[in-house]
Amino acid sequence: MPTGSPPIPAGPATAGPAGDLAPAAARRAARGPRRGSNERFPRAERLAPYLLVLPAVLVIAVFRLYPLALGVNFSFTGDGDRNGQPVGWDNYTALFADPLFTASMRNVGLLVLLLPVAVAIPGLLATFVYLRVPGHRVYRSVYFFPAVLSPVIIGAIFNLLLSFDGPVNALLGAVGIGPVDWLGDPGIAMFAVVGVHIWATFGMALVVFLAGFATLDASLIDAARVDGASLPKVVRHVIVPGLSRTIQFVVVTTMIGMLTSMFGLLYVMTGGGPEGSTYLPEYYIWFQQGQMGRPALASAASTVLFGVMLVVGMAQIAVLRRAGRED
Amino acid sequence: MKRRALWSTALIAPLALYGCGSAAAPESSGEGGGALVVWDWKSGDATAESYIEQAKADFAERHPDVEVEFVAQPFDQYYNLLGTAIQSGEGPDVMLFNGGGQLRDRTDALLPLEDYLAEDMERLAGWEAFSDGGHVYAAPVTLQGHPLYYNKALYEEAGLDPEAPAATWEAFLADCAQLEEATGADCFAMGNKEGYGIQFFLSGLGPGVLTSAEYDAWIAGDRDWTSPGVKRIFELWVEAEQAGLNNDGVNSTAMFNDEFALFDGGEAAHVIGLMSDVGHWKEFGEFLDPADVGVMPAPLVNPDAVPFLPYDGGIGYGVAEWTEDPELAADLVRSLTSTAALEAFYADAGAIASDTTIDASGAGPAAAAIVAAIPTGRPALHVALSAETLELMGRLSQQLLSGSATVDDALAQLAESDGAA
Repeated sequence: MPTGSPPIPAGPATAGPAGDLAPAAARRAARGPRRGSNERFPRAERLAPYLLVLPAVLVIAVFRLYPLALGVNFSFTGDGDRNGQPVGWDNYTALFADPLFTASMRNVGLLVLLLPVAVAIPGLLATFVYLRVPGHRVYRSVYFFPAVLSPVIIGAIFNLLLSFDGPVNALLGAVGIGPVDWLGDPGIAMFAVVGVHIWATFGMALVVFLAGFATLDASLIDAARVDGASLPKVVRHVIVPGLSRTIQFVVVTTMIGMLTSMFGLLYVMTGGGPEGSTYLPEYYIWFQQGQMGRPALASAASTVLFGVMLVVGMAQIAVLRRAGRED
Repeated sequence: MKRRALWSTALIAPLALYGCGSAAAPESSGEGGGALVVWDWKSGDATAESYIEQAKADFAERHPDVEVEFVAQPFDQYYNLLGTAIQSGEGPDVMLFNGGGQLRDRTDALLPLEDYLAEDMERLAGWEAFSDGGHVYAAPVTLQGHPLYYNKALYEEAGLDPEAPAATWEAFLADCAQLEEATGADCFAMGNKEGYGIQFFLSGLGPGVLTSAEYDAWIAGDRDWTSPGVKRIFELWVEAEQAGLNNDGVNSTAMFNDEFALFDGGEAAHVIGLMSDVGHWKEFGEFLDPADVGVMPAPLVNPDAVPFLPYDGGIGYGVAEWTEDPELAADLVRSLTSTAALEAFYADAGAIASDTTIDASGAGPAAAAIVAAIPTGRPALHVALSAETLELMGRLSQQLLSGSATVDDALAQLAESDGAA
């Protein structure tokens, strides 16, 4: 995301985004006289800050903003016979008329809805590890293990496990439940893939949670226990409030992970199917660009995805900023 | 504030400047004079080594100073990479294509070759899949088709005559029932995870459903999706699933290669396979006894139909329109389709080569049956469709199997997509 706005010329000391309110006000008050003295600085010294940020700004402008502009511009040109010709909003009209694309956007919504599950699982498991359930040392390393496997390997493993005549269905059959077409039923496939994604990535979130627990005051938990609080109550009233910043951080990183790194799993496990039910925008872009030979339409889809990510990113920054203020 | 505005202008200027005009003007460019670059996904295979060697030797004889570089791309990324190359108007001089939609979608980037290849027209078969709008855009290397293979050992086990497979659909259903009862094998090995199952089904069984006139009209581009014949094929697709002819979990079974593995393992009695590359007589013969791999014509659903082998040019080499010396590149294509090279490809890779002068009688009954059927064969139904329609057909076929779409719905959507293409 391009965040390359230059520093506002307000003196050398600019406040960070997480700066506390009261000191910020104090600094604002102190700026007045300093700005006056600024004008007496020699010209070279006044230009120095800009010169110093120039390389960074240039890198962002040349390698981020410029290609972004090219991409957006490209999305207003045609494909195939109309290659290179301006076509206005045609690609966007085609995009939203394409059930595959709308399905992929709906799946983004589904991911957002499944986010609490993706955060709760590592949170809960980290709680158990923290509370030293028997064997917690083993679990700590075992839980992290899938995080080091590549999505392709994980996808291949679960392709075998979840195949119609695979071990999972054999197990279900043994307890009298009929076989489930995990990757062939459009109502189930997306959940199966998201489930595998959560399994594959929760180890990282677990580590973050454990780090958060390390900052938790153990005496609070002890006190709650002495007062006779049950485990659910300890979790609800002591652990969750104590970890609010950690939870917010995990929410943000998990969301980013779900939106940007499921391509490998989708490619290996479902290829967007069955019935196009597991398309995500990323996969759709790849599919239109390469398989269908419609790069301009793919650019339009990228632009829409960029817009969505921008909104999600802004919302996340807002959440993080608020979390910073609460302290 | 002024400075801030200046900065903003500096950042926005490129955005505004490039807001007009095209970002995708194809430019002409090429490799240096004495070199040709070939892209394919075959030249890295061990089984294609002698083929490439032969072709290179043939070309070197005529053009000793021209260097030829083969770049083997991974197949699953091939059209992505090619699409990017075409977009930039720079890339290989000669490139490999699958016949049909993948080539027809990219004819803008290809050179018409009919003038350069006139001498080969008689010797090679399978040109239709590489032609579009009266021009030929690539020369066929292999033939690709969709024979209906069956497992003779299972037939014998079920008490059926392995040399006399069913000729009509009713008899075929009766045989399948007997096969399932006696051997436990499914009638069809079917994998439709990628949406390819329907393509093979349409092309493999279509000749037994459509009349000759309907078939020709379809291939010629005059496709009536609501005609009784076409509708019957899609109804058969649904009926076969409902009647339990297929293996379980068709929509989650990958054709490559879970479907073929089922046939290889004797868990299904029939499979609509390929002629070349993979899923074909040679591969099946490695798991089953080559003498047990049979090829049968499509069972007749419509008594007026006359079944034949559906096949097209499988893969073929085309020339990029941006190449510097078209004649030189076309000469390389001729070397890549020379009899000696294709003979090597047939012998090592087990591909049915496009060269009709190669003798294939020594490769077992299935290959012999396929080669014998080539003179009367016709293009496969699905190859005539655009990549977009094929993709839609794949998705709709999955819906048909799961019951979330009706045949009429699906055909209406396909007619619309096909009409727009």
